[in-house]
Amino acid sequence: MSARLEAFLARIYVETEARERFLADPRTEAAAAKLDADEIEAVVNIDRVGLRMVAESLRRKRAKRR
Amino acid sequence: MKDRVGLGWRPELAAGILANLARIDIVEVIADDYFGAPHRMRRSLKTLAAQVPVTLHGVALGMASSVRVPHKLVDHMARLVGEVQPEFWSEHLAFVRGDGIEIGHLTAPPRTLRTIEGTLKNLDIARAAVGMAPHVENIATLIDPPGSTLSEPEWLAETIRAAKCDLLLDLHNVHANAANFGQSPAGFLVALPLDRVSTIHLAGGKWIGPEGSRRLLDDHLHDVPDPVYTLLETVAARTMRPLTVILERDGEYPEIESLLAQLDRARAALARGRAQNAALAA
Repeated sequence: MSARLEAFLARIYVETEARERFLADPRTEAAAAKLDADEIEAVVNIDRVGLRMVAESLRRKRAKRR
Repeated sequence: MKDRVGLGWRPELAAGILANLARIDIVEVIADDYFGAPHRMRRSLKTLAAQVPVTLHGVALGMASSVRVPHKLVDHMARLVGEVQPEFWSEHLAFVRGDGIEIGHLTAPPRTLRTIEGTLKNLDIARAAVGMAPHVENIATLIDPPGSTLSEPEWLAETIRAAKCDLLLDLHNVHANAANFGQSPAGFLVALPLDRVSTIHLAGGKWIGPEGSRRLLDDHLHDVPDPVYTLLETVAARTMRPLTVILERDGEYPEIESLLAQLDRARAALARGRAQNAALAA
């Protein structure tokens, strides 16, 4: 995993707007993040159910800590 | 050395733990809670370590990453390990930040040779700073990590082989990931080098999501489910190494007696596994 992919995943896991933009047009968002071709294919085919669940789980954990 | 069974230290459980040390062989303390903590807190931790064997467990180093572990956190861990002198310390095989964004919890990296390479570099940094290698823990995930080219047991086995680290095997995480991604938890264990497992975590979770796409969340808020005890028995049957088993509970705390009963169930599962182990060896 490149640092770019890590940053991209961190962003779509944590930031609602970034995630919704990505889900609406994954290839464009991944390319804009300068992911390489393999990484773009990987995130275009992301586990969408899992993505929404992990994002919600992280949101709840952060809310609990505040 | 014999198998041992203990409990994760949490402030809410402190009184119950201290009143029942005869039934708790070892205590696991979240190291990050003590990073930069006041002197009195660190002194109380040393007092605890004088009463019961203690291990330190990290949650925020982010070992499984192409980004270097933050020196500040590694230094904190090194200082705490130096002060407390735990039997060992441990961290997760997770990534927790990227490009300045703190994810706020453990997330699974894509399982590739490249992420193993990054993990090895971070483990080397941590080993050099702390003076001993951590036991590294498999994590639960709700999402199948994008871009993975290796199965989870393949990725774990290669990481611990190359890093020469022991595996802290979280059996609820094995149970949850197997349930979430249609795998066999028993098959998962077969694919792991169990002779590298020295420590086990037990916990509970709950099902989330709509019917048809439900997943098991490892929330540490529920009792250990029966299949996890079965996995513990399996591990005990297949390795000769003494095992240190820790029950993790992070909230919705029941009476301490309920947690002690779960420790007793873990001891019983270990005993059944060891009996099978002895029968096979005979």
